[in-house]
Amino acid sequence: MSWVASACVGFVRACAVLVVSMLVPAVWAAGVALAIWWQNPWTWIAPLVWVCVGTLLLVRPVCRMVRSLVARWTGTVIPAGYREMGPVTQMSTGYWWNGYSYEKSQRDARKDLELRVRWKDPANLRDLKFTAFLAVTAGLAAAVPPAGVVAAVVGFARSIPLLGVAGVLVAVASAPYAWRAFGPVAVRFLRPSASMALADRVDELTVQRADATVAQAAEIRRIERDLHDGAQARLVALGLSLATAEKLMETDPRAAKALLKEARVGAATSLSELRELVRGINPPVLNERGLVDAVRALAMDSPLETTVSAGGELRLDPPIESALYFGIAELLTNAVKHAHADHAQISISHDGTGIVVVVEDDGRGGARVDDTGGLGGLRRRLAAFDGTVELTSPADGPTRARMTVPCESL
Amino acid sequence: MRIVVAEDLYLLRDGMVRLIEAYGHEVVATATTGPETLDALRKWRPDVSVIDVRMPPTQSDEGLRAALAARHEVPGLPVLILSQHVEQLYARELLTDGASGVGYLLKESVFEADQFIDALERVAAGGTALDPAVVAKLLSSGSSNKRLDRLTEREQSVLGLMAEGLSNQAICQRLFISESAVSKYTTSLFGKLGLADDDTSNRRVMAVLTYLGLTGS
Repeated sequence: MSWVASACVGFVRACAVLVVSMLVPAVWAAGVALAIWWQNPWTWIAPLVWVCVGTLLLVRPVCRMVRSLVARWTGTVIPAGYREMGPVTQMSTGYWWNGYSYEKSQRDARKDLELRVRWKDPANLRDLKFTAFLAVTAGLAAAVPPAGVVAAVVGFARSIPLLGVAGVLVAVASAPYAWRAFGPVAVRFLRPSASMALADRVDELTVQRADATVAQAAEIRRIERDLHDGAQARLVALGLSLATAEKLMETDPRAAKALLKEARVGAATSLSELRELVRGINPPVLNERGLVDAVRALAMDSPLETTVSAGGELRLDPPIESALYFGIAELLTNAVKHAHADHAQISISHDGTGIVVVVEDDGRGGARVDDTGGLGGLRRRLAAFDGTVELTSPADGPTRARMTVPCESL
Repeated sequence: MRIVVAEDLYLLRDGMVRLIEAYGHEVVATATTGPETLDALRKWRPDVSVIDVRMPPTQSDEGLRAALAARHEVPGLPVLILSQHVEQLYARELLTDGASGVGYLLKESVFEADQFIDALERVAAGGTALDPAVVAKLLSSGSSNKRLDRLTEREQSVLGLMAEGLSNQAICQRLFISESAVSKYTTSLFGKLGLADDDTSNRRVMAVLTYLGLTGS
């Protein structure tokens, strides 16, 4: 029974493969037929135009169909790797810049960009090659069962029983297998080539580098401002108090003493300001103890009841530790501020390929990662190390965030 | 008292030695690295030592490790840890062996010289001195927050000062109230928390810290 079923399914699939893979060859066949039928020396132009336009228009839809069929039948998702359209921005001159040229309107800029992206995509050549290759491999293989059926019909209609029986046998025997070349061929020849993957990676890294530079510059500006308005100003005031106290020492020792006390309080305040600043740059306990103990210290200070579990001793690169630490701090702050949680759980472990940090709270959920918020910042910070953050936060909670950073040196 | 000072920055070390000597105590040795500190503690067995957390060679928590190692060898060896930042984690590690004679203060606590020397003497006598910043973190952290809701504001501040290691007498001076008022507050808060009041000041402190989850026992 199951064999019959697989033969039927196989036959249907073989027909589908045949249709998809023969679309472009059919256009060519039609062109050639047209040229032969229209016996005029100048009319080769019309078939040529027909063939070129037909091929160019069909290639991408055919590849798209192949991808979806492979995904449906074998579960293998083949990444398309087509170029994405970049953003179109209005310049101060009022013109629109699409990365290639200036246009008067946003619509023109988009159209221009679309054309450029569509026709300069290295994926086009790959698609073209694949379509040709598909027809002569998987296409021909898939043609066997339908050909058997045709032979059988012809054989019985013309009363040539031998041909009829042979046709049925071929069709039935080949049906379960004839479509199977389709998957491997598509996976092998339709995936993005190495150079396309590299180009994608370059784009990704360019964006990350820009993000990192912007974030770093903002951070340095913040530190400069904090130092300038805080510690520096306080030290000036401190020197002033001391100078005045020195002057008053002889004439008014009482006032001098008061000033000295003021100076001492000022020094204590600037110290605690500096401490907060340092904690924001790089928490000392992270430097002294590494990620796990720093997170334990963080959990102890949190108003939530927080448990920390860690699998073994982890010594990571300091930048990764820092990114993960601030990520956890951000998530805990959110759990208190937005989710109104009472408990939180943090687990730090490694799964062979990288480090995995999971932060869960029992709050009211509904958190989202958007580009402007703290979670967006967290995602960008982790992306610099090829890390990711996944967030599950249904409307009534709980919230679960999973951060991963690949590292080899574990 | 015979005191060892371990601090890698010259200016701070020198200032500390001068301050301690100004109060009539003797600095028997100074150390500038973690291993040196451990050697000095072993050799001198000082009445109390003042130790910086971060020191060479690794510039991580060398000082703290040296202090913990020395206390492991000589249980109850009085140490006062100074740091630019205070962490509950470190306080817990220092207090976890349940032995007395531990201090953990922010470096700027030396600004209040009288109180600093007082803390030093308290630790030398087997008492406790915790920085108010640690205690504040302790009282506001997740597990203690709810349990302390029952206490009045005054009782909470008395509890905080007790956790810092102060005696009733010192508490009444800080809060500008009479000593009998302090003992009234302590009795009521001990009753509310279900703790047994103890006359010996440091055992009382330990009971409070255990209740707040800072010590292991």
